[in-house]
Amino acid sequence: MNFDWNTEQKAYRESIRTFIRETLPENWEHIAHGPASREQTAFARDFCGKLSQAGLLVPHWPTEWGGRAADPWEAFILAEEMWMAGEPRGGQYMNVNWIGPILMLFGTELQKQTHILPMARGETLWCQGFSEPESGSDLASLRTRAVKDGDSYKINGQKIWTSYAGDADTCFLLARTSEGKNGISIFLVPMNTPGITVRDIPSIIGEGDIHEVFFDDVEVHEKWRLGEEGQAWEIIGQVLSLERVGIPRFSLASKTLRDTVALLKQEGRFIGAAVDQAAKAHAACEAARWYSYFIIDKRAKNIQAGPEASVGRFSTVICERLVSEFVVEHVPEAISGVHPMLLAHHQRGIVAGIASGAAEIQLNIIATQFLELPREAR
Amino acid sequence: MDLSLNEDQLAVEGAIEKLAEQFGSSPVDFHGFALVSDDLDRELEEGGYFDIATIPEMGALSAAVSVERLARLPYTAEVALSMLVRPHLDMELPRPFGVIEQGRPGRFVATAKTLIIIDDDKVGIAHPTADQVEAIPDSLFAYPMGRLTESLEVKYLPDDVASTVKTWMRVALAAEMAGLMQAALDSIVEHVSVRKQFGRPLGVFQALRHRLAECAVLTGGVRWLALKAAWSGDAGDAALAALHAQDSATRLVYDMHQLSGAMGMTLEMDLHLWTYRMKALMSELGGRGGQAQVVAAACFE
Ligand SMILES: Cc1cc2nc3c(=O)[nH]c(=O)nc-3n(C[C@H](O)[C@H](O)[C@H](O)COP(=O)(O)OP(=O)(O)OC[C@H]3O[C@@H](n4cnc5c(N)ncnc54)[C@H](O)[C@@H]3O)c2cc1C
Repeated sequence: MNFDWNTEQKAYRESIRTFIRETLPENWEHIAHGPASREQTAFARDFCGKLSQAGLLVPHWPTEWGGRAADPWEAFILAEEMWMAGEPRGGQYMNVNWIGPILMLFGTELQKQTHILPMARGETLWCQGFSEPESGSDLASLRTRAVKDGDSYKINGQKIWTSYAGDADTCFLLARTSEGKNGISIFLVPMNTPGITVRDIPSIIGEGDIHEVFFDDVEVHEKWRLGEEGQAWEIIGQVLSLERVGIPRFSLASKTLRDTVALLKQEGRFIGAAVDQAAKAHAACEAARWYSYFIIDKRAKNIQAGPEASVGRFSTVICERLVSEFVVEHVPEAISGVHPMLLAHHQRGIVAGIASGAAEIQLNIIATQFLELPREAR
Repeated sequence: MDLSLNEDQLAVEGAIEKLAEQFGSSPVDFHGFALVSDDLDRELEEGGYFDIATIPEMGALSAAVSVERLARLPYTAEVALSMLVRPHLDMELPRPFGVIEQGRPGRFVATAKTLIIIDDDKVGIAHPTADQVEAIPDSLFAYPMGRLTESLEVKYLPDDVASTVKTWMRVALAAEMAGLMQAALDSIVEHVSVRKQFGRPLGVFQALRHRLAECAVLTGGVRWLALKAAWSGDAGDAALAALHAQDSATRLVYDMHQLSGAMGMTLEMDLHLWTYRMKALMSELGGRGGQAQVVAAACFE
């Protein structure tokens, strides 16, 4: 085992840091509030273009799609640095992490040609149309329907919590083509298609983040169906496993903790309970870090990480919670905007146990697949 | 970054696994507290396992992996200190080791040839004679506990050596805790899979499934922090690992007993062998508060 980065990895990380330092504007910490604000999303388009030119947007993609087939470690180092900086890629991180790779695996030639290179150039924003008002954790119960009509589908229904929907160009949409888990299909739907209405949902995580999206007789040609009819469940199984440790949340949590401790030290307040709490939170961040690295190590060796991904994810939820609580207790003024980056972390941290699969669902997976506990007959 | 064992480390892991299998179950007629195996100690000694940390291809990491595995056994022997602390001292010290912290009873004290003495910030070494120590056969802690019967001649160590000792004690503690937690968790997973109430195995109840899943997350984290600390030998890493171990153990010990019902209170089930060893380690080196002080000094500039 070797718990250190090699020379190239260190240099790579340093080059990303330099790029970030040179590219982010001075008022970045005021832009970087919330995970998907309008201002940040607009900024991201410009930033991702520059990242792409620097070869730092999709380094782990194959060369034919604008990458250089870098290994999963480089992709993760990049993700760590981006997340730590307040995710200047905005919603485009999804293209990089899973939408692009899934299209490469399951897309038709037309779908790949249309969508992948614009992603690699940092020109396009997607949204993920999975959750519905009645289908959150129980995603397989979703009701948005796609009915075949000649060589098109007519889509009707509603999505909710859709991040980036207000500005997205394309939606990675799940809709039902027949009953049951294996009756769900994926459609790549341009967001300017007639019949789509997007509404902002005001929230504590910042303006412009989450939305309702309504589909009224939205017509989508069958050539924009990804995979076969009913193949969605199989395909998104891969998406979800990539996403479980897709965001290295421990990186920003850890930085936030260090910054908060530095503030307390300046004021002579790093004493007593604060020391115990900070140490405990730091241990939780490091536990999440090393468990996540363990999963990336497997990925780098082409070993499929199974339910361990949920263990990694839940470790991250614990560390986000401890760090958020630490800031709220010891630097409450952060929540009133006195320290914008601490607030930016807060607004990202509080969703750790909900977005991309609730924490309790991870525990269900761990219990069933990792510990192999007996299950109730269904 | 490479989080797989190398070939030599895999070979040691395999050999330890084979050895461990011989000690995998407790004797049916055992209803006591400390289940000590002299055979295990002898086999480890004869196999040269107490020195693997000094062999560059294996290193302290291999020792930590071994300590974790052996801590999962119902049997105990003085393994962790000998494998992880002793090799990092520039002096020949006879094993087995024991620890006396703040004059309190400690594990393996009655049979130790070398005692690590911790008095506040000072760390010393002593070699007790048989009449200076005595066993405490009825301690609940599932290590062979012992105490001093008179004060010893202690050779206090210079600060840098003292801090090396504490660092490796923390690594040893974390590696041992990782194994104890895993063993306790495994035994309760088995228990709730078999034990039926309300017509079904306890393990189908989500309230219990989630607690077990959370314990699995904590156990995995402790193991990785212990291995990282063994690899780096860094004081901050060691304190983080020990802190996470002691903190997680409070949760594990409570939950594992809770989920085993009254059966967990008996000496028939092996559970107490792991949980009471964890309890013995919870207070070591100042407990969580002690580790937190070191983390604060070493990890936050
Ligand atoms: C900031 C943010 C951004 C998001 N972005 C998107 C997006 O872009 N696209 C998208 O499709 N979705 C998005 N989501 C939605 C997200 O995927 C859902 O919130 C998540 O799947 C949980 O669903 P829910 O909110 O309906 O909670 P519910 O499913 O109602 O769950 C509520 C609580 O009940 C628990 N629970 C549910 N089922 C069980 C069970 N079987 N056992 C035990 N406990 C259970 C949950 O763990 C949770 O604690 C986003 C959410 C957030 C917060």
